[in-house]
Amino acid sequence: MKRVLGYITCNYSTMSYNPLEEQRPLASLPFAGRYRLLDFALSNMVNAGIRKVGMVMPTMYRSVVDHVEAGQDWGLNLKRGGLFLMPGTPFGTARSGGRFLLRDILNNRPFFVRNDYDYAVFSSANFVYNVDLKAMIEAHKQSDADITVLTQTVPEGREDPEVLSFEIADGLVSRTRFGAKAGDTAFLDCFVIGREKLRELVRWYSSTDYWDIFQPLNADTYRVKVKPYYFEGYAAPIFSMDEFYHANMDMLNPDISSELFPADRSVKTKTHDTSPAKHEVGSKVSNALISAGCRIYGEVTNSVLGRNVIIEPGAQVSNSIIMQGAKVGADVVVDYAIVDRNNEIPAGMVMKGTPQFIFYQEKHHN
Amino acid sequence: MLLAGGQGSRLGVLTSDIAKPAVSFGGKFRIIDFALSNCANSDINTVGVLTQYRPYLLHSYIGTGEAWNLASNDGGVSILPPFATQTGGTWYEGTADAVTQNLDYLRQQDPEYVLILSGDQLYRMDYQEMLQTHIDHDADLTIAVKPVPWEDASRFGILTADSNGRITRFTEKPKEPESNLASMGIYIFRADVLFAELEEDAANPDSSHDFGSDIIPKMLAAQNRLFTYEFNGFWRDVGTVASYHETSMDLLGPEPAFDIYSEKFPIMSNASTRPPAFVGPEGTVDDCLLANGTQVHGTVKHSIISTDAYVGANATVTDSVLLPGARVEAGATLVNTIMGEGAIIDDGATYGQTDGKISTVGGGVVVRKGA
Repeated sequence: MKRVLGYITCNYSTMSYNPLEEQRPLASLPFAGRYRLLDFALSNMVNAGIRKVGMVMPTMYRSVVDHVEAGQDWGLNLKRGGLFLMPGTPFGTARSGGRFLLRDILNNRPFFVRNDYDYAVFSSANFVYNVDLKAMIEAHKQSDADITVLTQTVPEGREDPEVLSFEIADGLVSRTRFGAKAGDTAFLDCFVIGREKLRELVRWYSSTDYWDIFQPLNADTYRVKVKPYYFEGYAAPIFSMDEFYHANMDMLNPDISSELFPADRSVKTKTHDTSPAKHEVGSKVSNALISAGCRIYGEVTNSVLGRNVIIEPGAQVSNSIIMQGAKVGADVVVDYAIVDRNNEIPAGMVMKGTPQFIFYQEKHHN
Repeated sequence: MLLAGGQGSRLGVLTSDIAKPAVSFGGKFRIIDFALSNCANSDINTVGVLTQYRPYLLHSYIGTGEAWNLASNDGGVSILPPFATQTGGTWYEGTADAVTQNLDYLRQQDPEYVLILSGDQLYRMDYQEMLQTHIDHDADLTIAVKPVPWEDASRFGILTADSNGRITRFTEKPKEPESNLASMGIYIFRADVLFAELEEDAANPDSSHDFGSDIIPKMLAAQNRLFTYEFNGFWRDVGTVASYHETSMDLLGPEPAFDIYSEKFPIMSNASTRPPAFVGPEGTVDDCLLANGTQVHGTVKHSIISTDAYVGANATVTDSVLLPGARVEAGATLVNTIMGEGAIIDDGATYGQTDGKISTVGGGVVVRKGA
């Protein structure tokens, strides 16, 4: 889409402790075997035809840069436009719950001043969703809203203290709050804004102590019209380790995965030269997502395996997420666990969590 | 110079719409990936790909060559189909003619050595090693050879060499072979020698313009310095349906003949980005390769399920190869078959023979129940 700028913040850090975040920024958290969280936000933008995207880097940006490289896997390795990797505030949002730091926008003024655009789409990298942003941008253009926010009504039985929710009055956002429970209008951390309005907001608030772009909007609802745009599809917030676990398990549901990964609006990610997975003689795999390069000799049930995972003979993996490069030794039992990258679980070991308490084995650094 | 213009007619329906080097292999690759990856892994970054037969898929697959690190302003991959000139233009008439017609391209690249490759062979080779022996021997031409079982030697172009590797004889399909060194159709020429030979060959109306039939015998007779380079690794020319099937099955089992997982010399490809394979709650997979984007809800045994292929509930697939996008629908039975890209075995249908004969289903073809 011409004249639309994309802006993705990859420097979010969760308010409450998430051990997965100790190992890498949330934005590059591996998901569904071969993806990383930022893939969804970035693919949504590219699929809407956006060809200029700035990404705000976390302090430990190595894994993000290694993953997106020059943007070629998203078609953003372009002569004009393309991917811009931009410095982010050290320590990012520093567990404050902010997503779109005013300071990051200010520090990256050249990105907003030197590019010619009419609308900007802002997104965090913490949601798993496949959204037609083109339709959302069109809806924004047709309305008289200053900001259009992507929202979803929280379904029964769900609650998240870190997801932002909106109070709606007369079809407009009247308040922003932390925490979203069943029935609330949750913010999916994505919004559309016009160039002039963005300039105004930055000008108004840059000299204040406001942290995140949504803080001042609470006080200023009379002069900024924020309109919700409801998304009905699958959208999983990934803030806690539990949410991460359950969203991965959702990928075993063909209805959800077919909605999330359609061939005609695909989620793009870094490509690798990994060979197809080999299911060896005698292996047993059932209800599982198996990434390329896996060698399976044992049993895998109700699980998600990242690339190049080896499951030795006699091993039994169930209800678990095994990340890239891990080796599960012979006769090992892994149940209700998340095994982070490159771990080598010695033969015979038993690693068992419960549905209420997922066992987490941290990343092995080699 | 990578020869990728052939039809591979003995692959039947598998090449009715695409050139042989574009045929899918090993679940996610295409046959030409092997030659291109060898070039990339051998630090050869200027590659001319000669195409002719039904080249569209091959052209779009190769693209800029980026997938093999060959997208470069300085060299890189160049796709070379037949072309017209002021005096008309002809199709490529033989392996040597294809290269002769591209002498302008070669002269522009100004190489010291020219490597002639075929785009339809499966193997890993570091061509730098072969080049080093070529230089050490001060050869005009080095031919890569593979020792084959003596009982098979009469099927190949056989080279006889002395203890220094100097070629003394070349016989096509000898009834009584005196050597078991089979020509692999991989040649390294000194560029100036190649250019001279090709120009002479082009002017010869009696020539069939083929490296094996014309150029090499002539150079041998003229006592040029021809040497062998012996190669002992895995090497297959999947020319027939039976050999394609056999080589595919060679990727399976506890000790596959060919290791597709070696990281030192990766097989690079221009694969699409698809989600990981999904095996459903009712799915059973035994001794198989499952590529990305696949879904298995039935029973699959000793088979290769390529990118985006699908096996429905209660279907069984055995000893088969499903090329990308092929579907075996619910309740169907498939055995000993190679399914072309996007082919479908419909609900409840049965296909394939149990007498050892390999069947094929053409790309996009639907086999219905009772067919």
